[in-house]
Amino acid sequence: MRDFIRVAIGILAAFLFYTIFSRISPFFLLFFNIFSLVVFYFAVEKGEIFGSCLGAACGLLQDYFSFGIYGVAGLAKTISGYLAGYISKKIDVQPPIRNFFFLLILLSFELVLWALLYSFIIPETLNTGGGLILFQPLITAFLGIISFFLLRKIKKNKY
Amino acid sequence: MPLFLKERKNLTILIALIFFHFFLISMQVPLGENASVFEKTVFSVFSPIRHGVLSFFKGIGNIWKNYFHLRNVQNQNEEMKEEIFYLRQENNLLRNALQRFRSEREIEENLLAMHENILPAQVIGLDPSNYYKSVIINRGTLDGIKRNMVVLDKNGNLVGRIIDSISLKEARVQLITDNESGISVFTQMKRVQGILEGDGKGQCLMQYVLATTRPEEISEGEDVITSGYDRIYPLGIRVGRILLIASNASLHKHIIVEPYFDFRFLDQIAVIMKDPKELFKD
Repeated sequence: MRDFIRVAIGILAAFLFYTIFSRISPFFLLFFNIFSLVVFYFAVEKGEIFGSCLGAACGLLQDYFSFGIYGVAGLAKTISGYLAGYISKKIDVQPPIRNFFFLLILLSFELVLWALLYSFIIPETLNTGGGLILFQPLITAFLGIISFFLLRKIKKNKY
Repeated sequence: MPLFLKERKNLTILIALIFFHFFLISMQVPLGENASVFEKTVFSVFSPIRHGVLSFFKGIGNIWKNYFHLRNVQNQNEEMKEEIFYLRQENNLLRNALQRFRSEREIEENLLAMHENILPAQVIGLDPSNYYKSVIINRGTLDGIKRNMVVLDKNGNLVGRIIDSISLKEARVQLITDNESGISVFTQMKRVQGILEGDGKGQCLMQYVLATTRPEEISEGEDVITSGYDRIYPLGIRVGRILLIASNASLHKHIIVEPYFDFRFLDQIAVIMKDPKELFKD
């Protein structure tokens, strides 16, 4: 039960982040992928199935914000959530540098998958915001290691 | 449970989820002009939550603005901004009306109706696949939004038309820069006709202007306005300026038109609350 509350808080935080930042400027959303951080954090903790199910839910929420086709971000997040859980079982991704590259690779993979799916479904030039979207994995990964580090520290102090 | 069985179970769940997403995508593709029932349902569920969150933060912002930040000046400024907004829209619409109506009495009758027909709206979302395709505004069926209603920017320049009311408080606007949009236009000086289509990259192309059209009839820098022949956009709305005219081997000239509306400042827009059927009934 406690886990579900934590997941709900994570999703709610990402939801609030997206709502506020999309209000300030929709272009902000090019730089961050907060829903992915929620998915990867819990996928590492709970495993690939939890990661893929949470990826599906968060992806649909992200599709809601992007006003696009429902299921595109969902599919990309489901697969990357599964991979996050699977890889974290095989190798230790807790050390900060390894954690950074783990996030960077998964976020890049998810972005490529999303772009491919979008281009396949809507055969038009994908607008990358003048290339700004390419910075999304890097910025999100930085944000990820900081927030993961803080969350683990809080958790350690609590128990 | 043995490990390989456990791994197979995990893979089965993953494959089921992937199929679920493919099914979901197939329900919406090809993406038509109307939102699917599924899209509408999701918007109906999440819109109130999103509006609630936004109202909460807007409320906090307003407290700061109103009570700590030159309250009276702020109010006056807001009122004046609103008034300017309405006046610009009225001015633009009246200019159009002047071209259409000859008697002064008719103009005065229309004057009163104009103010009521403008609904200010805010852009709250962009199309992630292409920003020049469509935007989402914070007005929906509850505000009386209907398909094909004309959308202008704060200076009265053409932005696009409503293509779909997504939910009670949200609607999608097709921008004139969308490559699927088509508007009947002519040049302001010599009334050379053409069809304006978006190029999907922020500019428009004026199509079907014959290559034999003489240079004195159409020139670079000239204004392009709506002709009203498409029976969606009323006559005389400012659309853009001709940026480049080129002739190639084809039957028609290659004309690039730069829209007047500025995508970066597309925060506040105006919806003309008149059904195109009513606009063109006479």
